[in-house]
Amino acid sequence: MKKEDTVKLISREGFEFIIDKKAAMVSQTIRNMLTSPGSFAETEHGQVTFPEINTTILEKICQYFYWSLQYASGKETEFHIEPEITLELMMAANYLHT
Amino acid sequence: MSAPKKKNFQIEAFKHRVVVDPKYAEKTWKILEHAIHEIYNHNASGLSFEELYRNAYNMVLHKFGEKLYSGLVSTMTAHLKEIAKHIESTQGGLFLEELNRIWAEHNKALQMIRDILMYMDRTFIPSTHKTPVHELGLNLWRDNIIHSSKIHKRLQDTLLELVQRERTGEVINRGLMRNVIQMLMDLGSSVYQEDFEKPFLDVSADFYRLESQQYIECCDCGDYLKKAEKRLMEEIERVSHYLDTKSEPKLTNVVEKQMIESHMHRLVHMENSGLVNMIVNDKYEDLGRMYNLLRRVSTGLALIRDVMTSHIREIGKQLVTDPEKLKDPVDFVQRLLDEKDKHDKIISLAFNNDKTFQNALNSSFEFFINLNPRSPEFISLFVDDKLRKGLKGVTEEDVEIILDKVMMLFRYLQEKDVFEKYYKQHLAKRLLSGKTVSDDAERSLIVKLKTECGYQFTSKLEGMFTDMKTSQDTMQGFHAAVGADLAEGPSLTVQVLTTGSWPTQSVNTCNLPSEILGVCDRFKTYYLGTHTGRRLSWQTNMGTADLKATFGKGQKHELNVSTYQMCILMLFNKSDRMSYKEIEQATEIPASDLKRCLQSLACVKGKNVLRKEPMSKDIAEDDAFYFNDKFSSKFYKVKIGTVVAQKESEPEKQETRQRVEEDRKPQIEAAIVRIMKSRRVLDHNNIVAEVTKQLQSRFLPNPVVIKKRIESLIEREFLERDKTDRKLYRYLA
Repeated sequence: MKKEDTVKLISREGFEFIIDKKAAMVSQTIRNMLTSPGSFAETEHGQVTFPEINTTILEKICQYFYWSLQYASGKETEFHIEPEITLELMMAANYLHT
Repeated sequence: MSAPKKKNFQIEAFKHRVVVDPKYAEKTWKILEHAIHEIYNHNASGLSFEELYRNAYNMVLHKFGEKLYSGLVSTMTAHLKEIAKHIESTQGGLFLEELNRIWAEHNKALQMIRDILMYMDRTFIPSTHKTPVHELGLNLWRDNIIHSSKIHKRLQDTLLELVQRERTGEVINRGLMRNVIQMLMDLGSSVYQEDFEKPFLDVSADFYRLESQQYIECCDCGDYLKKAEKRLMEEIERVSHYLDTKSEPKLTNVVEKQMIESHMHRLVHMENSGLVNMIVNDKYEDLGRMYNLLRRVSTGLALIRDVMTSHIREIGKQLVTDPEKLKDPVDFVQRLLDEKDKHDKIISLAFNNDKTFQNALNSSFEFFINLNPRSPEFISLFVDDKLRKGLKGVTEEDVEIILDKVMMLFRYLQEKDVFEKYYKQHLAKRLLSGKTVSDDAERSLIVKLKTECGYQFTSKLEGMFTDMKTSQDTMQGFHAAVGADLAEGPSLTVQVLTTGSWPTQSVNTCNLPSEILGVCDRFKTYYLGTHTGRRLSWQTNMGTADLKATFGKGQKHELNVSTYQMCILMLFNKSDRMSYKEIEQATEIPASDLKRCLQSLACVKGKNVLRKEPMSKDIAEDDAFYFNDKFSSKFYKVKIGTVVAQKESEPEKQETRQRVEEDRKPQIEAAIVRIMKSRRVLDHNNIVAEVTKQLQSRFLPNPVVIKKRIESLIEREFLERDKTDRKLYRYLA
């Protein structure tokens, strides 16, 4: 996979998730970060740090991105969310505008 | 969980942790403000989008949205004020370029700011009904840059000057122009309209007013139109290159108004080059241009149409009233057709086959053709000429085309019944003398007349054809029955014509030579033997005869003559000299016909089988005639035509006219009775109107004549006047 096609998402604890740009763009916020006309640091390095999102949530978010892509292309499965992380996940979703 | 009592659980709304630090907002804003400055200074690469976004997010979340928004407004305003100063200070020609460059930068910066403040755009702004960030940026740009007192006027002037320069032929930077105009459009349609379009249209109007004034003074109509068309194209092109497409109708409207509408009367009426000149000289291209340009203006086409109509009427009037041109009816009609063709071509080539123009053309023709009361006669003569000789060697399609054209002229005629009268006469002559060239063409024309005017118009004409056909059969029967007995004497061909269908006149039968009389009687007995209850009378004025004659030196000729001429020539079998009086007594041919026959027998060079004393062109009552022994001709067959008056002479014309009037009377009466039968009661004016309407496909009845017919009907007790209102008529069943 080419580096230009991927993006590195870093959680509060420093865990790095390397995922497809296409998947990351599901989030409107990340899309803006990566496509904004000015050259922000994120656009230049291809990595985004989220100091307010912990690893568990970020992992779930990445799973959601891929699931969402599949769902959009017609594969209608359920996305399972553990009840204990629901609240935090929703806040992150609001933040990421997904 | 196993509490025995019922407990009401209440779920508290989730509360964000309250930020204790009162300076939190101030601090966060400082970071954002700094970022905005950096963005404007192109230093964004060091900034973390996530951090800024998170800060803005938190500010909005912690109810500092108002602070964030107002901070944004004041920071951006400050930046724009500085930019305005910078732009104001740029020198001359670079002004637009600089403006365009900074505009592009501002747009980029604005987008970045919008992106990092997206959360505010999404939640805070809709709930507080504020202007979204992007729009806010544009508004601030508009108020601080475009509407800044120093830039506003300068921008307008620069733009207008550039357009002016392009109009005078210079090349300008259209890309830059398009970008700047696009900026104005982006700032809202009102900005574009108020700050650019309106002054632009005013300037354009002034420019074209001046230019058209110059052009019209020094150019002829064709050149002017070319220039106007070029200008119009240029403006349309201009719009497509760098203006808003919505400006096109407004801009072309300005050009149309200044260059076309205000000068069109002068243009169309221009001497030596205006519309009339173009029509006369068949300048299809110029005419097409004029049509296309004036079509853009509301009254333009009406103007062209009016001028064209009056021109055609003028020409037509000259054509139909010029006594010189009336001498030859065939030529006269041909001229009409040529004129029609010419204008048809103009309308189809230059005027886009415009229906209203065709109508105008038709009404003009209708107008002037009916100016000449002899038009029906001439048109019939034209057909006669074509069907007698003109159609030889012409293909069937061409025949159809000619006939169609004739029908078109026929349609213009108001007095169609007069045409019918003449046509009947001419057709009868053609049929009886066997001179018609093509039976198909004859029938085709009849069919056309039938579709045009209905069954009754042509029933008699068709009857004539039927008579011709039955006569052939009768003759075959006659020859089969008595042919053997008559082998010795002259052979006879008879055409039995139905009275009424043919334009026969009751003429006194002339005295036929005894040889002929015998055969005629045989036929009469034969015919009346097969058809009882009929009467036969001989129309000696319409027949023809072939005579075999031997002249002085023994040379033999076959003479093709009319019945009258035959009667005269037969007299010379008995004596070589006869005086006019003797001939008249012996034949009892009416004087005018007799003179005509003698003239063609004695006075036409090369065909003079008789000799006249004294030698002169005209026949006098005391002339004497001799059999011309010395007659010679190259041909065995000699055709001796009667000196026929092709056109009707004055008295004949009067007579025909009278007969037409006579024929109209029963038609008018029939129309009145038809109308009154359904209406029962009607006043005078309405009757006249209805009658005119019913009969106009055949002729235009004269109101005075209608009145006379009504009176006659009252006399015969078909109608009565109302006892109280004398203007009302009642129908008496």
